[in-house]
Amino acid sequence: MNKKKILVGSPTNNQVVIHNNSDLVLIAGPCAIETREHSMRMADLIGKVCRKVGMQWIFKACYDKDCRSAPTSFHGLGLEEGLRVLSEVRSEHGIPVTSDFSDPSWGAATGEVCDLIQVPACRQTSILRAAAETGKPVHLKKGQFMSPWNMKNSCRKLESFGSSEIMLTDRGTFFGYNMLVNDMRALPIMAETGYPVCFDATHSIQMPTSMGNISGGQREFIPHLTRSAAACGIDALFVEVHDDPPNALSDANTVLDLKYLEVVLSQTKAMHDMRRELQEKWGEDNVHPEG
Amino acid sequence: MFIQKDSDLDVASVMLDLNSTPRISSRAFLKEALDLMDAKKLGIICITDRFGKLEGIITDGDIRRMLTRVQKPFAALFSDDVIEYSVKNPITVKRSTALSDAIATMGLMQVWDLPVIDQSGKLEGLLHLHPAIEAILGVRNA
Repeated sequence: MNKKKILVGSPTNNQVVIHNNSDLVLIAGPCAIETREHSMRMADLIGKVCRKVGMQWIFKACYDKDCRSAPTSFHGLGLEEGLRVLSEVRSEHGIPVTSDFSDPSWGAATGEVCDLIQVPACRQTSILRAAAETGKPVHLKKGQFMSPWNMKNSCRKLESFGSSEIMLTDRGTFFGYNMLVNDMRALPIMAETGYPVCFDATHSIQMPTSMGNISGGQREFIPHLTRSAAACGIDALFVEVHDDPPNALSDANTVLDLKYLEVVLSQTKAMHDMRRELQEKWGEDNVHPEG
Repeated sequence: MFIQKDSDLDVASVMLDLNSTPRISSRAFLKEALDLMDAKKLGIICITDRFGKLEGIITDGDIRRMLTRVQKPFAALFSDDVIEYSVKNPITVKRSTALSDAIATMGLMQVWDLPVIDQSGKLEGLLHLHPAIEAILGVRNA
């Protein structure tokens, strides 16, 4: 299997390489851009942790949350103002930035600012086309309803629209109603595409709309799941982080408290490095009988 | 089987042309290959690269053996790349191969079909057993 790599950001702006044989990369930030000041502060605080742990990272925050449980939920700063904040984070902190988008008409503007284009857990052709047409690497999350092998269809769509740099992420799979579970087999199965794979720690522990008008979550499992995913084999880790989770304007029940980021990252990185060492010593995972 | 050894028929005279031969790219899904085999009503499909060079084949028998070996759900199996389950170095014939020799090869190897390739390995068509036998027996116009 020819493992593909994706390059996120420009060489002059702390370009991040995501590849099967590279160091683990972090994608992190608040779920939504709440204010300019908050995003700048989070970029500063997360950056400090990443430097301490020794991880390259990409700042993530969304400008428009179009899939909230309630009409009254915080929707975000919107396209123009949100992208302006992301652009500022990018230039002030010298790091690549990413956001998702949920309307195909927002794709071009998103591509002008973001170094990595995140596609929500969907497979809508119009969104995938808009993501591909930005010319930027595309971060595609596996829908909670999708099987990992069927992600090849979405990759095909992106490829047909010109994408050659894609990353696939597991963010949990529906287990009945209001509950997600992680099937770790999804990671090596999606890796069979040759594209890098990522584990979304904070959406995996989400309990979608379990609280009536908002989603719940079991964040106590974030450390267990991130260690498991890194041991299984990932190239990037996605974590939504907040310095004041109870008052987060989006995903308050799932975002990781910033004070635990270092311990989570340190353990995940250690597992990742250990897996690479084991792979170097014992070779690729292959236990099929000959013939 | 008695084969008319002195027949001067060659493979080219009875082979299926490229349009009638099930063929698919190596990155196609297995499900797409099965659909094409069904549509062409043949128990074989030829896998070619983007230049038309033969990379492998899959037959009904290969699929049967794979089904008892691979422990995947059908939905996963159907999404796998077709090349994964193919025979990579299939027996082939040339257009100029004597039909009697090609049929003898089929009998020896217990196969119903042989891909026809040119000197560079490019797929040109398929020799299917039934029309070949009919031609040898003189019940079919070559």
